[in-house]
Amino acid sequence: MNISRTVGHALRTLSRNRLRSFFMMLGVTIGVASLTALASVGEATQQETMRRFKRMLGTFDIVIINPGGSSTRGMPSLTTSPPVLKPGDAAAIASEVALVKQVAVMQFAFGIDVEYADKSASPSVMGVSPNWNEVRGEDIALGEGITAEDDETTARVAVIGEDLRRLLFGGEDPIGKQFRISGVPFRVKGVLASRGVGPGGASMDNTLAIPVATASRRLFNRDYYTGMLAQLRDPERSAEAIEDIKALLRERHGIVPPGEDDFTVTSPQAQIARVTDIGSTLSRVMIGVAVIATLIGGAVIMSLMLIAVSERRREIGVRRAVGASQRDIMVQFLIEAAVISFAGGLVGIVLGVGGTLVATTLAKLPPAIRWSAIAGSALMAIVVGLVCGLQPAWRAANVAPIQALRS
Amino acid sequence: MIEVDHIARTYTRGDGTPVPALKDISFGIAKGEFVTIRGASGSGKSSLLNILGCLDTPTAGTYRLDGEDVSHHDDQRRSHVRNRKIGFVFQSFNLLPRTTAVENVEIPALYAGGHVDRGRALAILGRVGLGDRADHYVTELSGGEQQRVAIARALMNDPPLLLADEPTGNLDSAAGESVMALLTELHREGRTIVLVTHDEGVAAHAKREILIRDGLIASDRPQGRDAATARQSA
Repeated sequence: MNISRTVGHALRTLSRNRLRSFFMMLGVTIGVASLTALASVGEATQQETMRRFKRMLGTFDIVIINPGGSSTRGMPSLTTSPPVLKPGDAAAIASEVALVKQVAVMQFAFGIDVEYADKSASPSVMGVSPNWNEVRGEDIALGEGITAEDDETTARVAVIGEDLRRLLFGGEDPIGKQFRISGVPFRVKGVLASRGVGPGGASMDNTLAIPVATASRRLFNRDYYTGMLAQLRDPERSAEAIEDIKALLRERHGIVPPGEDDFTVTSPQAQIARVTDIGSTLSRVMIGVAVIATLIGGAVIMSLMLIAVSERRREIGVRRAVGASQRDIMVQFLIEAAVISFAGGLVGIVLGVGGTLVATTLAKLPPAIRWSAIAGSALMAIVVGLVCGLQPAWRAANVAPIQALRS
Repeated sequence: MIEVDHIARTYTRGDGTPVPALKDISFGIAKGEFVTIRGASGSGKSSLLNILGCLDTPTAGTYRLDGEDVSHHDDQRRSHVRNRKIGFVFQSFNLLPRTTAVENVEIPALYAGGHVDRGRALAILGRVGLGDRADHYVTELSGGEQQRVAIARALMNDPPLLLADEPTGNLDSAAGESVMALLTELHREGRTIVLVTHDEGVAAHAKREILIRDGLIASDRPQGRDAATARQSA
């Protein structure tokens, strides 16, 4: 029999035994649907993570200098940071490292109480140098940002985040209003442009910025920074800049080998790479699960086909008697398996794509259908079918015709 | 049509002991003969049927079918010979379930290459008296009708040899008689028929009977009317 006729024949045979065919398909369908969906959702998640990271870190022409060694985790704040990054360090980096254009500094603290009229909140407070917004590439939505003059005069002015504006001022125009930070009166000078949610899913707008000099002398009484951003003249040379900054800080902090650095210098690119690496490990695990599901589907096909072969011994005997060779029988059963798993795969892809669209819509992720995942799933479905059909087909081909026909 | 020359068939049991099923069998069947091969179960008649039907090859000896030595053919070539030269009829009909009569008749054509001639399948069904049953599912047919569908299937590729294995074994006597009448008619039209049975009554329809016992030919003699004529002239 030629192939197209055999495929037609297989379709008829399979439609004569709908329930069995349905269960054979089911396994592959589930596997392929989960493979398609997980691979696509994984991709969408990764893309979204990248986007949020970019939003959090701002521009890419900077290196990030944080206090504490390489084992330090999380956002450094005044209570968690060792007091190692001093104003002298920032000045030295700005003047001595040739690759650095300018340095922005910050004092960061979580959960500081603020009050306006009868309303209160506890946002994070950032004491920032006047060039902070410029270095981070951040915009002011309303009013003005922190100026050099504010910093020199340790002015009690604040630029507040969008969440805080809504929380404290509601529909009111906040510009020029007096409010209190830890009981100290400040004046609202501007509103930061909304940054949305960060990689962890938390809002990045529940915050406010004040001049760093005001923060260190009037609010916190601390003379060290929780972070510095060094803006580079040439973003391509960030690795070089990182080495230069490390060398300078080691010298200034009197660190000699084998002493460990009491600071960390990284690039946003490196931080993103670390997070997306976690993401891709996760999606690899999910894909592994989907592959296992497909293989289980294959095992279902195999066992149902083995049962089918013993039920169809007569049919095999008849076909052999009227002129089917062992090869004809083998091909017939292999094609039935391939047709079943291909059909199961197609249904799986439709469900997978549908599931992906639903999942990305619900999770407010950009829809990312990964065509390579779909092609891979379809191919895998056929291969699984053929491989799992092999043993039953071989058994079918070796049915002894006369014994089968006489039973 | 058939020349069997000193064939033997020995099976090997699981533990390696050889079991001889056919020891030394020789006979010839001319074109157009109607022969029964009779033997008790275990006599070796199944093994002989396997070999005559090109489903198995002898361990020794030669088997020539229609002038062609098929004793050493591989599976592919034997399948081709089965398809073109042999029509099988079985005790338990062996029609495909959930399939119509005419679809069953067409099966041999599927393996013959070329297109499947539905018109021919319908004509043969008409020939065996089932022209009006072509589109019935086989489960809707009586035993006698099913066996006639099986005979129509055996005729699909117009083979010179019909091999019938206990064709009336599952039928009541009336249906059995009508099937035997059909086979006798096909014989009269010039087809060679070999009928394997353990039933002497069925064997009486043939012109010649080969009796198998313990893997050897016990007797090979004329039957029925021919036998009576032979006895009279003696």
